[in-house]
Formats: sequence, C-alpha cells, structure tokens
Amino acid sequence: MSALPRVLVAPVTVTPSKPLTPSHLKGLLWTDVLYRATALVADTTYRYSPTTYHPTEQTLGFWYYLDQHHGDVDYSQMSEEEIGDLYVAYRARATKVSAAALRPYADAVENTGWVHPAGARVLQLWTGHYALLGLHDPGLEVHQPPGLGLEETLEQLKPAGAVLDQRADGGPVYLDATRYGLPLRQIVTADGRPNYLACALRELLPLAPEYDEVVLLYDSGLERDYQLVARLLSLRGPAVRRISVSRVPVNGRVTSARHGDWHDHSFGALLRVMDGRCSPESFRLGMRLYFVASLGRGQQESFRLDRLVHWTVRAQRLLDRSRTAPAGTGTALLDRCRSGHSYIDPYRLVSSLLDRRRSAPDPGLLSEVLL
Amino acid sequence: MTLTPELLLDTAVRRMLTSRPELVAECDLSSPAGLAAVRNSLNEADELAVVSVIRSVDLPGWVRETCLFALSLDEATARAWRRSFTRTIFLAGQPGNLRERFALTRVAPDGSVAWVGPAPVAATRTLRRLLKTFVADRPVDAAPPTVVELPTPGGRAARHALHRDLYLAVSGHTVGETLIQLNHLLVEAVQDGLINGGDRLTLRHVPRLNGLRAPVEALRVDIDHDNPDRLRAYAALTEPLPQR
Repeated sequence: MSALPRVLVAPVTVTPSKPLTPSHLKGLLWTDVLYRATALVADTTYRYSPTTYHPTEQTLGFWYYLDQHHGDVDYSQMSEEEIGDLYVAYRARATKVSAAALRPYADAVENTGWVHPAGARVLQLWTGHYALLGLHDPGLEVHQPPGLGLEETLEQLKPAGAVLDQRADGGPVYLDATRYGLPLRQIVTADGRPNYLACALRELLPLAPEYDEVVLLYDSGLERDYQLVARLLSLRGPAVRRISVSRVPVNGRVTSARHGDWHDHSFGALLRVMDGRCSPESFRLGMRLYFVASLGRGQQESFRLDRLVHWTVRAQRLLDRSRTAPAGTGTALLDRCRSGHSYIDPYRLVSSLLDRRRSAPDPGLLSEVLL
Repeated sequence: MTLTPELLLDTAVRRMLTSRPELVAECDLSSPAGLAAVRNSLNEADELAVVSVIRSVDLPGWVRETCLFALSLDEATARAWRRSFTRTIFLAGQPGNLRERFALTRVAPDGSVAWVGPAPVAATRTLRRLLKTFVADRPVDAAPPTVVELPTPGGRAARHALHRDLYLAVSGHTVGETLIQLNHLLVEAVQDGLINGGDRLTLRHVPRLNGLRAPVEALRVDIDHDNPDRLRAYAALTEPLPQR
C-alpha cells in the first residue's frame, strides 16, 4: 500500500488586532473543513502561526502605538471589539512609525516569542471562539516561529533570480518573478521592514520540500501575491494549489476591518443574536452550510443573519436524519471531492450534504469534519 | 567656473534650444518656473523615452555602460530622443529575468543594467507595468577619483581619444537623483561628440560645482529639488585634459 500523500494546508492568517468578521469566519471555516476532511485521506499538516506574522508593520506598529498612546493598561479584560476600536484609531493615523522605533518590538518577537498583551488577549478570545465553532486550533497561543530568518530567506531565493535586493542603494527588496510575467512585488522596505509576504516565505519556503502538495487559502484580493508565492514554492518540489475565497460583503459592500464598521456583525454580535436559537451542533453545522456551501467562493451575496438562522434550522434537520444513517459512507463521498489533487474540496463536500437525492450524511463524517 | 543664477538659466535655455528650438519661441524662458512649464506642456504620448532597467549600481561601471548605450544609437534615433530631452525612465528590475520576454536594446555585460528604446512611451507599457520605479535613496558616497575607460568601437568616425574630468555634485544628492542627472549629461555629450569610444573620463565627486577651476564644456543644470524656484548644477564635463 502506498504511503499517504503529505499535504500542507497554509491559509493566510488574521492579524490579532480586531474582532472576527464574516469574511474572517468564512476563511476560517473553509480552511477547517478542508483540513479536517483532508486529514482523513492524507498525512495533513495545518500551518497557521500568528508568530510568523507578528513582525509585520501592521502588527508591530499597532503595538507601538498602544504603548505610546495608552501606556500600561490592562488588556486582559478587554473585548476584541474594544481592542479593535484602538486598532481603527491607529490605522486612521497618517504617520508611519520608523523602523528604528519598531526594532525593540521586532527583536522581542523574533528572539523571545514576546506578544503584546493586546495581541495575546485577542488570541485568547479567538481560542475560545474556535472551541465554540468546533474549529481545529492550529496553535493560536503557541509560539511557532518560522523556519528561516529574513536574510536566510532572501539568500535562498537569490540564486533563482527570484529576489531583487536594492537595499545597498537605499531601495527596497522585491520578489522577482518577472521571467514568468508576474510584476515585481516589494516585500521589504528600504529601511528593513518586512511585509506579510516576506513573513509567509520565511515560513513556507523551508516547509514546502517536505510535502507533496501545498494548499494556500487566501482572500481573493491577494490573488497576485499568492500567484507569486505558489510559483516560488513550486520550485521546491510540491504541487501548489491556490484557493481564493472572496470576502463577504455586508450590505453590498466589501470593507476592510481596519475601517471598523464591523460593530453589528462581528462574531460577538453574531453570537448574541444566535444565543439560545439552536443547539451547539446545529450552530456549528449551520455555520459551515452557510459560509462554505451557501456563500460559496464568490462574493455575490451579502451577509445576512436571517440566512444564517435558516441554515442552522437546516443543519438541525440534517443532524436528525444522520442519526439513523449508516456509518462508513463518508469515504466514497470524500473521493468525489478530489479531482487531480490530494486535498478535499470543502465546497463540494459541504454542498453534497444538501443534495436531496443522496442518503443522509454519515454521522462519523459529520462529527470528524463538520461539527 | 563661477556659477550664477543667470549662467544656470542660460545653460538650461540653450539645452532647450538645441533639443526643441520650436518650443522656445512661444514660451517664457526667463525663470526656472517657465522652463518647468515648457517641460510639463509636452504631451507624453508624442514623446520618445528610454527605459533603463537597473538591478544594481556601481557608479563608474554605470557611467561606462551609459556612454556605450548612447554610442550604440544611430544618429536619427539619437536626434529623435534628443527632441524628447533624452527622457529616461529608470525602473528596478533584473535584465536577466527579462531577456526572454522583451527585446532589450542593450544589456551591460554584468547584467546590472539594460536599456529599451528610445521608443514611444506607449510601446514600453507592458515592461513598465511589470517593473517598479527605481528607488535609490542612499546618499552618494564620497569616493576617490575613478577613471572610466570606454572601449574603442568599430564603425564610428575616428578621432583621437580624449580624456576629460566628469565632476559630480554629491552634497544632498541620492544615488537615484544622481543617475537621472548624470544620464542626461552623458548621453547628450555623446550625441554632441564630446564623448566617443576610446575616451577616458575621470569621475570626481565634489560637494557642489560652484568654484570649479577646470574649464567646463558641458554642464548639467536642472531645477533644484530643495528650492524649486532655483536651478542647480548637478554635473560637469570638462574640456579635454592636456595629453601627457
């Protein structure tokens, strides 16, 4: 019998500085279904390390801002909405923090695994949310440093001509896949600040050769960046699959969390509305039916709480039917959710549950993948 | 050489007269602002430009390769480019990664820089979209004088090789600004026959050009970026040095 394929599931991470919004929930649920289903048929690793992305300006700049403007305050009792409000205030400022000012923060993150108490508080709250949603926790509160330093990463990419480093002349560092027709992409500023792509490569470059397949999940606005990442990782051997999942519009508009207009549809707000309406199982399954199967990859439909309620009712009916269904039918279903790749397509899996022509879902599959 | 606002303005106006005489009649060339207005009035779509793709900068090597690029152009092409004030767009990129997709007019042997054009600006749109504006904010280092030797080309009208000093004002200038200014001086000096294959240039860094003792044959003048209502001398090419 041949060994199971080795699959690395590597989604883009959410910066722990704000509440989870429908767009974040969609990405997390898509990733979770993909990971847990694929883990049944492949040797699967889920890599999601907030540690890797702390060195970005977006995060370090926020922490520096908090310490400069709010001093030593107790974040351990704050809600993620309260911390998110501080983040919105930070992002509204036009001034950029210098690399020199951020250096002590960057050094602490790199050398000691330090996390600012505001970031630690958000990650602690998210750990609770993951448990409530039945999401696999990939180590939100665990120190998981990337395998390579920034300079090592650049040195590894240079022989292939994939890095254009102009720091010696006072310029930035670019990823260079122009030979494949992809535009230059800056990854480090002239004064040495890495962006999230530089951080992603520090993590993924050393991991890639250990896998047969790498699955990248990201929001569709990052398509070009992930084309680049996929190209560079594939040079290291694995097949690289890109899954772009669009953000969820709210009232017809797709907005970034940094603008702060999430108050009536953050995960906390959603929980307050759903409280007492359904069982924990139907909430978990309903969330997956809604965010994965109903909303799909695209962004045609705006977020609607009444639709989520509808899907939890539907989930309860599925759960009821599955109680009398025979176990062991899940394997054949999983096989139908793969075509030319090792990972399980979450959309095909979840939407297949809604096919009325099919028999009731395997209760084992439900509990292992969707609850 | 004593620099005065009048001398700087006169130098800039003469350059405009040489490049685009028809523009001079209808414009106010009595101030730096008038000069800038003329340049801004040009319709980009009608102009030619060279795209220079830069991987890394070693200034003496870059001077040599820039002269060789200018020497490689035929007279009609050079004249047309001169009419567009030898406009050059500097982009960050690695020529080695672009060779298969783009027809590069010339590539330095070490791959540090390449040129495309002169061509209508629209003709290089695909290349420009792939690359980014070259940023080099490092101040130009104080460096000892360095001799740049141009190889003797085939096919050019022969004249005996000359040696000149090339003075560069470095105070407050970044590598990026320096390339822009020096590029105009060098390619126009080649077009005017002041620099030819086989010549030698001694690159000399000085804080400012005012008070230079050597007789100057070509002076690069542009708007002073610190004081946009003034002009400033950025680089100077001397008369030939006496043969030893």
